[in-house]
Amino acid sequence: MQPSSQTPTAVPAPQPGSTGTTTSPEIPFGVNEVRLDARQWLIAFGLLALIVALTPTIWERLERFDTGADYRIPYPLSNDYWLYGRRLRQVTDARQVVLLGDSVVWGEYVAPDGTLSHFLNQETGGGSRFINGGVNGLFPLAEQGLFHYYGGALRNRQVILQCNVLWQTSPKVDLSAAKEDQFNHSRLVPQFFPQIPCYRAEASERLSALAQRQIGFLAWVVHLQQAYFGQKSILGWTLEDDGGTPAHYPRSWKNPLAQITLAVPSAPRDDPQRGPASPRHKPWSEDHTPTRFEWVDLDASLQWQAFRLVVEDLRARGNDVLVVLGPFNEHMLVEDNRPAYRKVRDGIVAWLEQNRVPHLAPDTLPSALYADASHPLTQGYALLAQRLYADPGFKAWLEKGKDPQLDRSK
Amino acid sequence: MLFHTWPFLVFLAIVLPVFFALRRTRLWLPWLTLASYFFYGWWNPYYLLLVMYSTLLDFGLVALMDHCPRAGQKVDVRGRLTGLRFDDRVLKAAFLGAGLAALGVLALAGAGPKTLRPSAVGFGAILALMALGALYSSRRIWLLISLVNNLALLLFFKYARFAVENLNALGAWVHVPLKLADPSTLMPFGFQYLLPVGISFFTFQSLSYTIDFYLGKVYRERNFLRFATFVCFFPQLMAGPIERARHLLPQFNQFPPIRLQNFTDGASLFLVGLFKKLALANYLSFYVERVYDNPQAQGAPALLLATFAFGWQIFFDFSGYTDMARGVAKLMGFNLILNFNNPYLATGLGEFWSRWHISLSSWFRDYVYIPLGGNRGGKFSTYRNLFLTFFISGIWHGAAWTFMIWGALHGLGVLVTRELERSAVYRDRVPKQLKQAGVFLFVSFTWIFFRAGTLTDALLIVRRIFSAAWQNPEIPGLMVVLVALVWAYELLYESRLRSWLATGFARVGLAVLMIVYLCLCSSGGGAFIYFQF
Repeated sequence: MQPSSQTPTAVPAPQPGSTGTTTSPEIPFGVNEVRLDARQWLIAFGLLALIVALTPTIWERLERFDTGADYRIPYPLSNDYWLYGRRLRQVTDARQVVLLGDSVVWGEYVAPDGTLSHFLNQETGGGSRFINGGVNGLFPLAEQGLFHYYGGALRNRQVILQCNVLWQTSPKVDLSAAKEDQFNHSRLVPQFFPQIPCYRAEASERLSALAQRQIGFLAWVVHLQQAYFGQKSILGWTLEDDGGTPAHYPRSWKNPLAQITLAVPSAPRDDPQRGPASPRHKPWSEDHTPTRFEWVDLDASLQWQAFRLVVEDLRARGNDVLVVLGPFNEHMLVEDNRPAYRKVRDGIVAWLEQNRVPHLAPDTLPSALYADASHPLTQGYALLAQRLYADPGFKAWLEKGKDPQLDRSK
Repeated sequence: MLFHTWPFLVFLAIVLPVFFALRRTRLWLPWLTLASYFFYGWWNPYYLLLVMYSTLLDFGLVALMDHCPRAGQKVDVRGRLTGLRFDDRVLKAAFLGAGLAALGVLALAGAGPKTLRPSAVGFGAILALMALGALYSSRRIWLLISLVNNLALLLFFKYARFAVENLNALGAWVHVPLKLADPSTLMPFGFQYLLPVGISFFTFQSLSYTIDFYLGKVYRERNFLRFATFVCFFPQLMAGPIERARHLLPQFNQFPPIRLQNFTDGASLFLVGLFKKLALANYLSFYVERVYDNPQAQGAPALLLATFAFGWQIFFDFSGYTDMARGVAKLMGFNLILNFNNPYLATGLGEFWSRWHISLSSWFRDYVYIPLGGNRGGKFSTYRNLFLTFFISGIWHGAAWTFMIWGALHGLGVLVTRELERSAVYRDRVPKQLKQAGVFLFVSFTWIFFRAGTLTDALLIVRRIFSAAWQNPEIPGLMVVLVALVWAYELLYESRLRSWLATGFARVGLAVLMIVYLCLCSSGGGAFIYFQF
């Protein structure tokens, strides 16, 4: 039975040289000319290495990035870790102090001129000695990744690291609960070890996160997406609808390249979500009742383990780290919940003392100056800055920064 | 595990070095088998048992077939039954083993746990047939068992639900109280009833081996691991190309020669495949999905463009997978057959099928069309055979009326174009470009039935293409530009200017552009369309 004699044109025999005849010893390479030999691959890799290595650096020179005294990473760019690293690289004056932490440092309810860094600058007579290095939505497990992989510029400088006990108020926020959960900045947390029980991302997503940390070019690509394409991939941007019914797709015929304005978008001048004029900017006590938290024991807390690693990592890079504990809203606690809170707080202080980490634990602020369990309102930040600045320990620590010759790691 | 994901990269980063490190030992083949099983088990470890079962059975069946005489031979059935007088000890053992096992399994079906009954009956029947095969020393029975077993697996996992639903609906329509149980109730121990990924590919591949051996076209593979690797070779396990034993099996006889060109060619193929999948297929899929998920709300241009876009999407998706599969195999020194050859440049429907999913087309040609009679019996039977082959090919793609219509349309289309190609006017006077456009339009039209969620949707889309208002299709311009560029590349490749594309500058430039584009624009995720088949 000879296939060739049996075969009509409709189901023809494979054509010589073009189809995979199973008896042919020679299999064609393919139907395109993208067939590189070893030398051509070497050239291609060389070119790619140049592109990967140089593009972010060149971009940093080309792209305008306006930062002022109270600059903080705009909320929509919270996931732009490349920009965060760039922001830290901008802080070149060795006397400047970077405040690191979550949305408490960033200032969730307040305007840029209502943050802790702003009021600390005021206390020291204006200027921009204190830099807001907080990121909205951050937490210790994510800080670990952020500072380690993107905070290369955090080296041999004075750093204030905020320690927020909020992350021990329940297994859920500690991320030690077994139930699957979605959370911010998942690309920054440890992807495999230590295991985060509630984090159930696919292996692919985890490995992609690891790659993004290691390859600066990929982080830069995310920067493009975050800064110019509404946190979407470039292709996704062309497909985005206007949210109407029926939906329309206004970007279909827009040139994506025209989006790239070569200027990092700044935060809106008047953010309706933040600042004294915002409806969110109000004391928690107005409509909240005291709460009982499910405190997580420090020994079992993933966030606490991560925080300790953050401190160790920062110090290993020659930074002089001052930990500010709080300001936690103790007014929120029901009476019988206080001992558990104190145990956590005392445990933190004990570890800091044991490891000779300079630290301050300012008294809790008046109840009316909190917006929630941990975020102060504008006046709260002002008061906190005053209290910190009034602390002799703080002043002494700050004085060290004026003499760059002093060993900061001690 | 998908080729375009990080876990596959890690998998490959482990598999390849170990594979090469074992080149001087006999362990490279077991390692390849193990890697392939791991690759499949990553999707669902339970269904790995199915692959193993299918492999084991076909391996055993061919071994038993090998003990049977080729020419018809008279067998003393009574003597064998009463005195166990077999000329061949293996067949005697097979008769006793299969017979006793069949009794045991059927007894289990009768008295054992209820959950095991359906599968025990099925397996018992296979064993009983095996005992019969040994009793009659019949190569044909062994072949029949392989066919029954492989097709039964395919029918059960792929078509049973469709058949049950339609039979129940038919019963209700003719007022017959028919209530066939959902096939998921037949699964042992309540295992999930899923469509095993790649089932149509590995069963066809395994089946081709038994048929070819029966026809005397391949030798019997005596090494089980070699055969198991042939069935489950990870680069092509999920979506082909469907390899033939006589091409792939000999490649596992010895460790392939290590050549630098294997790496460079493999990487080139993989890069092109990755680009097709991530940069093109996935992007197109968003537009197609938007339009096809809500055809009622779309104007004619959007439906038309989404139909064309799907044609390109499925091409990039499937040929991208094949390129990556061939690239990965090539990295290890193995050659897989070419599965796509710029199909949208075909000038006839017959030619289209010699360029599209070549391994499947040739499978159907060799194992369906030719056994049906091919073109031996005159015009009518040739056309009937052609139509049936395409119709069955449609069913192979999925359990839905839309796939059957798709297959039937191609069958009819092939008959019409075959007749057209016989006329001198069409053959000599109609410009090539017009023929290409005609094929593309017809194939795109049939894709409507392939892609639409239901037959109602497909008919609605066809109707609306001709009747709906002409409004802005809102297709991304970038998408149109990308497809146009690929089309232009293909046209250039098949023209006299092909040498332009073969320059070092063009090759390196394109490779670098593709990688940078993938980094900048890849839209991530998305399984391959053909995994569902």
